[in-house]
Amino acid sequence: MKKQIAFFVDTRRCIGCFTCAMACKNQYHQPSGVKWRDVHPMSEEIYPHRECAHLTLACNHCEKPTCLEVCPVVAYYKRDEDGVVVHEQEKCIGCGNCIRSCPYGAPKYNPALKKAEKCSFCWQRLDADREPACVQACPTRALQMVDLSNFDEPDTVQYIAGFPRFTKLNPSIRFRPPRQPLEIRRK
Amino acid sequence: MPERNYDMVKKALNCPVTRRQVLKSLVAAGVLVAVPGGLMRAATSSDKINYDEIFYEGPYETFRNACPRNCYDTCSIVTYVKDGAVQFVEGAPESTFTDGGLCVKGNSYWNTTYSPDRVKYPMLQESRGSGNWKRISWDEALDRIAKKILEIKDKDGSLLGLALSKYSGNFGITNYGVEGMMSSLGYTTRFVGTPCWPAGIDAQNYDMGNMWCNDPEDFAKSKYIILWGVNPAWCSVHSMKYLFDAQDKGAKVLAIDPVFTQTSAKADEYWQVKTGEDGALALGMARHLLDKNMVDREFVNTHSVGFNEFEEYLKNEITVEWAAEKSGIPAAVIASTAEEFATAKPATIWIGYGLQRHVNGGVTVRSIDALVAMTGNVGKEGGGARYGHLQTWGFNYHALVQKQPKGSKGFSGTTGPKGEFAPELEETKFSDRTLNINKTARGLLEADNPPIRMLWVSCKNPVSQDFDLNLMKKAFKKPEMVVVVEKFFTQTAELADILLPVTTNLEEWTVNASYWHYWLGLNEQAVKPLYESKSNIEIAAALSQKMNELSPGSCTFPTEIDTKEWMIKEFNKGIYDLFGLKSWEDLKKGPHKAKLTSTAAWHDHKFATPSGKYEFLSELAAKHGHNALPKYKANRKPYAPLRLLTPHSKFNIHSQFQNLDWMHDFNPEPYVYVHPKTAADKGIAEGDRVLVFSKVGEVKVKAKLTDNVPRDALLMYEAWYNKNNFNVQNVVDDESSDMGKYKTGAPGVAIHDQFADVKKA
Amino acid sequence: MELSLVIFTVLSQISIGLAVMLAVRQWAVSEGTAPSSFRFEWIVIGVALAIALAASLFHLGHPFGSPRAVLHLGSSWLSREIVVMQIFGILVVVALVALWKGSANSWTLVKITALVGLVGLAVSGMVYAPPSFPALNNGVPIIFYGLTAFILGSAFSSYFAGEDKQPLLTQILTISLIVGLVINLILPSIWLSGGRVMQMTGAAYFGSALFWLRLVVEFGLGLAVLGVFRKIPIWLPVLLLAGEIVGRIMFFTHVVHSAVNIGNLY
Repeated sequence: MKKQIAFFVDTRRCIGCFTCAMACKNQYHQPSGVKWRDVHPMSEEIYPHRECAHLTLACNHCEKPTCLEVCPVVAYYKRDEDGVVVHEQEKCIGCGNCIRSCPYGAPKYNPALKKAEKCSFCWQRLDADREPACVQACPTRALQMVDLSNFDEPDTVQYIAGFPRFTKLNPSIRFRPPRQPLEIRRK
Repeated sequence: MPERNYDMVKKALNCPVTRRQVLKSLVAAGVLVAVPGGLMRAATSSDKINYDEIFYEGPYETFRNACPRNCYDTCSIVTYVKDGAVQFVEGAPESTFTDGGLCVKGNSYWNTTYSPDRVKYPMLQESRGSGNWKRISWDEALDRIAKKILEIKDKDGSLLGLALSKYSGNFGITNYGVEGMMSSLGYTTRFVGTPCWPAGIDAQNYDMGNMWCNDPEDFAKSKYIILWGVNPAWCSVHSMKYLFDAQDKGAKVLAIDPVFTQTSAKADEYWQVKTGEDGALALGMARHLLDKNMVDREFVNTHSVGFNEFEEYLKNEITVEWAAEKSGIPAAVIASTAEEFATAKPATIWIGYGLQRHVNGGVTVRSIDALVAMTGNVGKEGGGARYGHLQTWGFNYHALVQKQPKGSKGFSGTTGPKGEFAPELEETKFSDRTLNINKTARGLLEADNPPIRMLWVSCKNPVSQDFDLNLMKKAFKKPEMVVVVEKFFTQTAELADILLPVTTNLEEWTVNASYWHYWLGLNEQAVKPLYESKSNIEIAAALSQKMNELSPGSCTFPTEIDTKEWMIKEFNKGIYDLFGLKSWEDLKKGPHKAKLTSTAAWHDHKFATPSGKYEFLSELAAKHGHNALPKYKANRKPYAPLRLLTPHSKFNIHSQFQNLDWMHDFNPEPYVYVHPKTAADKGIAEGDRVLVFSKVGEVKVKAKLTDNVPRDALLMYEAWYNKNNFNVQNVVDDESSDMGKYKTGAPGVAIHDQFADVKKA
Repeated sequence: MELSLVIFTVLSQISIGLAVMLAVRQWAVSEGTAPSSFRFEWIVIGVALAIALAASLFHLGHPFGSPRAVLHLGSSWLSREIVVMQIFGILVVVALVALWKGSANSWTLVKITALVGLVGLAVSGMVYAPPSFPALNNGVPIIFYGLTAFILGSAFSSYFAGEDKQPLLTQILTISLIVGLVINLILPSIWLSGGRVMQMTGAAYFGSALFWLRLVVEFGLGLAVLGVFRKIPIWLPVLLLAGEIVGRIMFFTHVVHSAVNIGNLY
């Protein structure tokens, strides 16, 4: 399998601190309301303690990205060397099709620039031999960058509960499910 | 398209730094003059934007900074600067504690520094609280201030009518220059003590002679970790990796907390203790260990005093069943856990600050200390009763220590004001007048002979953070002049007469230590102060210059200072030796860790108590009006049906960060968290607007239902939301905690011994 | 609420619908009527299309980049829609010229244009059927667009058709409205038995007063009027247009995006 880098979200270690999401803002200064990475609490139907388990998601750099397919001006390309899906902002005409079409809501509309934009996997940082901003920032190493062509962590899944399942896209992301403590509650 | 488009575009147009644009005007002028409408061209002029410009493009100039907030983690920061403007920040990779990453708050420092909401110039509010702000020059501001100070001196014959409200807004060591500035003017009134951790500090001092914790990086050596009333997943994110390491190695982590927190979710076991009954729980565990003969007699006999009396107390007055009844934790669980804790070698307890914000907080900490001590875990790597430390704070405090002008009059007799961070000052004929920082509103209203005529506020936001908001608002009407030094138009700034713009940590020279880990971080001036902001010591120097212009000799603070030199002046041989530094410049290469002979506090068992041993029985405590033993003390009697908890959120450090645009993106509004059954009883549904009310006041807020909160409690996270007058202090009064006066000058506050009720708004 | 897309889709579907109805009217009845008498009608078709295309440009952040939007025919339905619409537009102009000149092949051109218009409906429908809208990730948008074209096409066609063609148009409109009513009732109930996002969409539709109002006014009243009068009164197409616009607005505002459900069970 070709090299395909992906985010590995270890929800066992994730403490929902939003450091990753803010690290992205810190790197790219998106305007108010535009978040490339966001941290979503897992509903109580999945993890019974409210806002105590989270999914941190940005772009999944899918194998068959919808954004790339639907873009009328070919403003997206998928890098051969690592599978990162790049949005070339200078080509974008702000039609909003990718924003509407991505089932994960990865592309966002930037009202100041009137264009779409999304997580770039910090490819410029990658090329400078650095980790993506969010991965570097994570205080518990819950968010990691992995290569799916040689990823074999035990007890991990591609579609954790709470993460929409779109097999045709084959999102490049893996999760480790969270744990629960033994509880002693007062009567 | 979202409705907020227009606002967002407007903001982008007014933003002084649009993405990836070079602040040419800032470079040219040295200072950015933000004119509404902007000198910066709009990002929407697509014909001029070069989209080929890549986001991350080196090379950058890098600077060393440190986060000066009141936080365990005190991160070491690397600031990336290009063309005189901050581009982004990262955590320093050299510190194993910071480990290359900050937190959600630290990562918003660009937003703090370049926020359009920053106080840019000295401002005058014509009629306090009116919102009619007028920009004035530094000269005019200082002139007004200086004249007022001289007027007070004239009227009262002293400067006791000038009061300082300051605490932990900025822990960069040179910021103690604010206290220094006060001293350099004369003898003034100081609000002393700390709302934060005083009861526990006294407790640890009674037991061991000092507050001193293990190196938190040694958690991995522990076999059993109790996180008691602490939520590191929110309040010390960098500590979590050590807890995970310990778990990976097979250690058991137990979280004890009235609330099911994020930390609880990561623990192996969670106990929903009844709020304020942690002391009973600890004593129950201790009693069980006695029964099972699982006391470390070697430690107790060799390194402690008073255990016989403690043992007698436990045998006579404490049973496991009683502890179970009080705390809500089943007796069998208390028993088995006590045994596991005593068997694990080593075992440790992280004692949180929320735990001691009760009327019985101090004695609670003493009983937990006792549990750690009697199991022989004090002085062990991976063990210990961890609370905090000040081992790495031995600076010169050059900025702090200033002399009063000749002939100054003040309070006579007693020693000067205390503070847990600063050193004790020598006895003088006169001294400052001290008031309890935790009763600031009362102090402002009731102080007399002379009354408080002028209030200086820096590194604190009392209107947002201090207790009994209604009383505080009344109190702020009393002084004749209120001067606030601030970055933003906070709730305290709103009640100021004169507002002075202060620098952020990226714009000043200082040095930072932590009260939890053992790293030292340099804080360089990464960019020049924005707008007309000045650091606290620059303000002091400027004030001194104005004072001496009007009345020569009225202020001893140097009128010309080099802030970098003043940072350097904080270093001494003690610091150099402790950190293995040849010079402060070594810190330019990165933060340095103290050279510890052992990761354990009290590793030599040479305690700093009067007896030199661990004191289960402390005569000093008795002398100070407490029980000599950590005897159970009842919690505050409720005055309303539900307990009200107002702990800390992960999105802010008190009133800092939540007001930022970026933080609003991730946490837009406050809530009150209510147990679903309690809500059902009151007809409250998820998302309803409700009124949280008590005899102290009321708060209108949206409700979220969750059984993370116990059935008998309400929870609101204290924070300041921009353009939102949400303030939990409306329903929090200033009831004191039992301890704190010994080491910090005033007792603490029972912040979590508050009560309220809730109903649909 | 994506007003520009509402205008673009509704107006372009009116344009296509009118073209199709014109072709159908000529097909059903023998040749004989002079092409020149359809000039005005064809101009209306052209104007509707022109406004629609202009509206679609307003939707873009950078309209001047729109010529490049045809570059991704290989995988983008949007590129394909633009190309087909451009061809449709060109054919409308060419046919208009032919109609004006009264040339012999004007009917052929009209029929070809109508055919291309139908293709356009299908391609357009596909653009609005991405995986992110589970309720629409299927042939439903094509059906909705087809209904708009046929309902408004036949209704407005009555303004231009002769008396002899009115029964045909009335018949087409009646059938279209019946089909539309059934589809609009069935779909949300099908969605209610789908996954969570589909259910949310179904609930949004059934729970919307506007949804029911539209059904009653556009379909209920429309069918009642047609049943009673057996022809299309002059005010009915306006009412139907209002209903279609409401329906299209709901298409953009009430259909739930899958990203909304992140963190919840599917």
